[in-house]
Amino acid sequence: MSQNLDDLLEFHWMMDMLQTVDVGIVVLDKNFSVQVWNGFMESHSGLLPSEVREKSLFDLFPAIKKDWFMKKAKPVFELKTRAFMTWEQRPYLFKFPNYRPITGSESYMYQNITLSPLTSATGNVDYISMMIYDMTDVAVGKKQLEALQVSVSEAQELKRTL
Amino acid sequence: MFSVLVCDDSLVARKQVAKCLPQDWDVAVHFAKNGQEGLASLAAGKGDLLLLDLNMPVLDGYGTLEAIQQQGLKTKVIVVSGDIQPEAKDRVLSLGALDFIRKPVEPQALADVLDKHNILHVDSEPVREVTPLDPDIRDCYQEITNIAMGQAGDHLARTMDVFVELPIPNVNLIEVSELHMMLSDIESHEEVTAVCQGFLGPGISGEALCILSDSSFDDVAKILNVEGEVDDQLQLELLMDAASILIGTCLTGLANQMDVNFSQGHPIVLGQHRAITEIISMNQIKWKRTLAIELSYGLEGYDVQCDLILLFTEESMKMMNSKLAHLLEDF
Repeated sequence: MSQNLDDLLEFHWMMDMLQTVDVGIVVLDKNFSVQVWNGFMESHSGLLPSEVREKSLFDLFPAIKKDWFMKKAKPVFELKTRAFMTWEQRPYLFKFPNYRPITGSESYMYQNITLSPLTSATGNVDYISMMIYDMTDVAVGKKQLEALQVSVSEAQELKRTL
Repeated sequence: MFSVLVCDDSLVARKQVAKCLPQDWDVAVHFAKNGQEGLASLAAGKGDLLLLDLNMPVLDGYGTLEAIQQQGLKTKVIVVSGDIQPEAKDRVLSLGALDFIRKPVEPQALADVLDKHNILHVDSEPVREVTPLDPDIRDCYQEITNIAMGQAGDHLARTMDVFVELPIPNVNLIEVSELHMMLSDIESHEEVTAVCQGFLGPGISGEALCILSDSSFDDVAKILNVEGEVDDQLQLELLMDAASILIGTCLTGLANQMDVNFSQGHPIVLGQHRAITEIISMNQIKWKRTLAIELSYGLEGYDVQCDLILLFTEESMKMMNSKLAHLLEDF
C-alpha cells in the first residue's frame, strides 16, 4: 500500500516538474490533438490546459500550416526519429511575446523546437512530444554580432578607399 | 643548423607537417602563414628546406615559387598540397620545386622524399607509426553500423517508398588535420550543404555530420513530398529534415545494439550560418583523434548523393567497446 502511495507521490512531483520546467512541453496524439500543455505553454500562450485539451493544434493555432507540420511529424510517428526546427530556419512556430517584455529588444520569442516520439508499452508511437525552447537571447546575440561584423567590414572598406 | 620552413595558412596543417618531420632530425623549424611571410623568412636565412602549401592568401604557392626563382633564393622546395591534380604537380615541378607530397602528410612519405633528394642523412627509421584501429574492433563497429543501417534502410524504404542502396560503412580513426581537410573540402565545394548534430549517451559522445550535394535537393523534395519551388529557405529545411531522418535512424540502430539512449542536440547548418574552419579552430585543441564512421547513401532511381559521417570521441571508444564486449568475445 505504502509502495502505491510512494508511487503516487512521485508521480505528483514529477508532474509538478513537468508543469514548471522552463521549456514548453506539448504532447500530441496522431490527430494532432493536444494531450499535455505545460505551464510554460500556458503562460506564454494565455491558453489554459482545459481550453486546449483534445483540441486540434491547427484549430488552436491557424498560423501553423497543417500539411507542413504533418510532414514534419510523419517520420517521428513512423520512423521514431526526432525532428528539429531551428530559429534560424523559422524564427517561431508559436507567436509568443518576448519573455522579457521590458528589456528585450525583440517583440517575439525565437524558438527551437524538437518533435520527439513517445513510445507506448506496445512499441508503437501513438503520441509525440513537442519541446519548445526559448532562443531569443541567442538570436539577438547572433544578430548583433552579424551587424557588428558588417559595420566592421564597411569601416575597413571605407579605410581602404580613403 | 639545417633549417626547415613550413609555409601554410592553416595552423593545423603547419603543426601537422612539422609533426611529420623525422623525429631524430636535428633541425630548426620555422613557420610562415603565406608566401610573402615565407619569402621574408627565406631572405632571413630561415629555410634551407621549404615545405610549401599551394593555396594560401596574400601570395600563394605558385607565386612563391616564381619569386624564389626570380630572387635566386637557394632553398630546396617540396610542395605539400591537397590539390593533387597532375597539372598542379607538373606546374610546381616546372617552377623549380623538387617534389610534391599530398596532404595529409604521412611521416613515411615525407621521409622518403627527403631521402630521395638527399636532404636527409639519417639511416635509422625513426618514423612513429600511427596506431591503427584494431581490426577486430573495426570489424565490430562496421558490423553494428551495418545492422543499424539495415534497420534504418528498412524504415526508410517502408515510409518513403524508396529503395535505399545500403552503403558499406567506412570505419577509421582520423586525426584532427584529416577532419579539418575533410571539412574544408565541404566549404570549398559550393555545391554541397552540411548539417552537424551533437549526440550524447552515457560515456559516449560524438557528432553526426550529414552532407548533401545540392543537386540532390530536387529529388529530396520529391521523396519528402514537398511541393513548390526549392529556394534557399526550403533547401535548408529539406536538409534539416533529411538529416534528422538519416541521423536519427542510424543513431537509433546503434543505440539499440549498445543498449544505450542518445540525446541529440539541435542540428546546426555548417557553412551557411557558421564557417566550418571557425568551428574546427575552436575545437582543435580539445581532441586529437576521432573515430569516424562514414556512410555514403544512394537512393535507387533518384539522383541523391548523401554522406553521413558519425564522429565519436576517442574516450567514447572505451565505453563502446565495453558495451560491445559480447560481440568482441567471439573473435
